Amino acid sequence: MLFYSYFKTLVGKEVTVELKNDLAITGTLHSVDQYLNIKLNNIRVVNEQKYPHMLSVRACFVRGSVVRFILLPPGSVDVELLHDATRREARGG
Amino acid sequence: MATEEDNTVREPLDLIRLSLDEKVYVKLKGERELRGKLHAYDQHLNMILGDVEETVTMVEIDEETFEEIIKTNKRMVPYLFVRGDGVILVSPPLRS
Amino acid sequence: MDGQVLLPPNIEDIPPPGLALVEELDKLLLVQLRDGRKIIGTLRSFDQFANLVLQGAKERIIVGTQYAEIPLGLHVVRGENVVLLGELDLAREPPAGLELVSEAAIKQAQRAEREADKMKGTLRARFDFLDDI
Repeated sequence: MLFYSYFKTLVGKEVTVELKNDLAITGTLHSVDQYLNIKLNNIRVVNEQKYPHMLSVRACFVRGSVVRFILLPPGSVDVELLHDATRREARGG
Repeated sequence: MATEEDNTVREPLDLIRLSLDEKVYVKLKGERELRGKLHAYDQHLNMILGDVEETVTMVEIDEETFEEIIKTNKRMVPYLFVRGDGVILVSPPLRS
Repeated sequence: MDGQVLLPPNIEDIPPPGLALVEELDKLLLVQLRDGRKIIGTLRSFDQFANLVLQGAKERIIVGTQYAEIPLGLHVVRGENVVLLGELDLAREPPAGLELVSEAAIKQAQRAEREADKMKGTLRARFDFLDDI
């Protein structure tokens, strides 16, 4: 549940979600669930010409299983917080 | 909270726990490699890395000679969440 | 970041699985599948796997600057094949710069595109064959 909790703290921030099919979408994180499914608002697609079907899409739901990476906003990453949470999770807590 | 127990390696993921806040090498599906500082992970090997260098290797075919050209693309990412299902291996930092 | 610790969520704070798409119910959506196809339809039902029921579904095929829509009717989409669901901005529909053509025309264009791709492949295969001699 570490990453679910962490992504909840990023709601309202801008992230770029890169999918396994190479489609990359930048948008405001609207919500996340325990499967790390993600909803983005005010999206724009990186390399838009290559994906014309996305031109009329403004908000989207991305299935967690198709995500490769999520590029995080540097100002929202507290590394100490992540280390503590990771150690706690590794202990099974 | 640091106890002796923290440094023992009982299962594979303990080795990754000992790499926290250290630079690791991650090999991913699709000829991708990452080098960066490990800031978080879970049992699925979902991870957050910092100061990440991503290397993507691809084979291109020259339009005229049809020779295979091996190309590598590199980019830097400040902070990157990596979904665990794409991870092939994680290599702890080399200590010299 | 406000909190000093990242606590695991309270069990009662975790939404029950399968509610993620409630806000999308009865909306016109564009569903991208893992094989690259795009289905447009009205979402009538879903579950925790993102299995979907789409009413009035149609496949939108885009080739170059042309597109066509092929009626499919009522469709159930298996969740694991779903890449994303996009909420269509009706003010931006149909996408600017794309010309609507007939189903026959788009299938023709698709075949031409596939032939061109295949041509590249066969040429390469021939050269690989020469390498082996």
